[in-house]
Amino acid sequence: MHWAILSGIEGNLEAYEAVLRDVHKQSPTVTDLFILGDLIDGTPEGNAVVDRIRNPKKGELMPQVCKGAWEEQCLIVRGLMAEPEDKSFIKEKGGNMLRQLWDNVPRETVQWFSQLHFGFAELDCLLVHGSSLGVFEKLTPDLSPLVLLDRLARTGSNRLFCGRSGQTFKYQLAKGKLAATVATLDSVKEEQNYDVGDRLIIGVGNVGRKQKEATYTLYNPETDKLVFRTVRYGKNTGFG
Amino acid sequence: MKLAVMSCIHGNYEALTTVLDDIETHNVDQIYCLGDLVGYGPYPNEVAALVRSLDIPTTQGCWDEDIVDGLNACDCSYPSLLAEKRGKAAHVWTDKIIHPEIREYLAQLPLVIRKDDLAFTHGSPQSQHEYLLPELDGFLALERVLSTGADVLFCGHTHVPYVRTLDEGSLRFSVQTDSGKTNSEQEFTTSIKRVINAGSVGEPRHGRPNATYVIYDTDADQVTLREVEYDYKKTCAAIIDQGLPKIFAWRLANGMEFAERADDPTHLCERGV
Repeated sequence: MHWAILSGIEGNLEAYEAVLRDVHKQSPTVTDLFILGDLIDGTPEGNAVVDRIRNPKKGELMPQVCKGAWEEQCLIVRGLMAEPEDKSFIKEKGGNMLRQLWDNVPRETVQWFSQLHFGFAELDCLLVHGSSLGVFEKLTPDLSPLVLLDRLARTGSNRLFCGRSGQTFKYQLAKGKLAATVATLDSVKEEQNYDVGDRLIIGVGNVGRKQKEATYTLYNPETDKLVFRTVRYGKNTGFG
Repeated sequence: MKLAVMSCIHGNYEALTTVLDDIETHNVDQIYCLGDLVGYGPYPNEVAALVRSLDIPTTQGCWDEDIVDGLNACDCSYPSLLAEKRGKAAHVWTDKIIHPEIREYLAQLPLVIRKDDLAFTHGSPQSQHEYLLPELDGFLALERVLSTGADVLFCGHTHVPYVRTLDEGSLRFSVQTDSGKTNSEQEFTTSIKRVINAGSVGEPRHGRPNATYVIYDTDADQVTLREVEYDYKKTCAAIIDQGLPKIFAWRLANGMEFAERADDPTHLCERGV
């Protein structure tokens, strides 16, 4: 098994094509292609990306796609999902994007978004756009290790792959210890001990946001080998 | 300063008045309530009105939230179809008889109350529906306490009181960013934290029908789990008289949960709890 894990194409078809070329030339061969949401960015260009993802060329892998913040927001705009309390995404992108989503995303695409999974649980790995709490939560390496451990432990996973931050990072929880006691009405004190083994939270990068430079992640679940790929694409202009 | 903390009254007026009398005998300076004033029991309006009239700082429980927002607990809140049917019947009954001003009162209750180094909430600081069971992974319990910025977190929702002391917590971690450099290993440590579950006044599930709550002495840092006898038969009779599911009266008389246990308190669901 050899996974390629992408997130945040954000309507940039050129970047996606460049990453696909890089994925298909990998050795050992990539066996599974995961796209952790944010296929679109509210512009009409997103439709070509969705179409390309849904219709891979002959010999290409069929991507496994889950919802990202853009897709979720699109469903909210169409009244297919409840408004979340977390309005950080609207603040981040500006209120204008609600109108863009309404105008630019065809009804049939919205229907397809509504059928996308929240994430994937494969072996001891969880692959999601935001976190195990929701698509809008942004996991970054500067968060408390307890928060990151919580998002992992909620699902019983040892590896959590996420894309919302757009960053590539490997956050390793190496070793933890905690002693606790519990007293109830009927028992004086029960002792509890907890250990944390090797657990990882991985930011898989972002394909489309930065012009001419895409990042994504390769992972082998059998060897636990993790590689961050940076793909530069597009013609250079001028004499650099 | 002496605090009394109570939770999960669930429309049981008889239990509430008996507990308030018991609190009176302990020279308590301040009472806090962790919500679930309504649901299951026959006197939701009376219970909420009494708590409001005594000006007791109160957080919003899951039942209070559902009576305000409509029943929006996720399907995984119910361990069986039977439990779901009973829960929905109780919701519909409560929703029908609740007074508008009581609904408004429940609507403005906060998720968390902070006071000095103490925090009060119904389920967890993240959701009224999350169960902080005493066997929840210690690191996750620690995260819930730290997310409030307090040293002691009072909660309810499980209907079984406990005091959990989280000690000697440490976590080693390292970060590798896209530059390829790995930061040297860092260590995260915390001081002692506590989770104190106040049990349930009106629907106890610790194996006896008595009401439970806690008294906390902030100066001595001493917790007392209180168990108070009351005339539960009166409430059982009222449950049956009002046409609520009879199983609620049976449960109250036995002080135990009947097929209503949350199998997976940290489950992943659409509500994000």
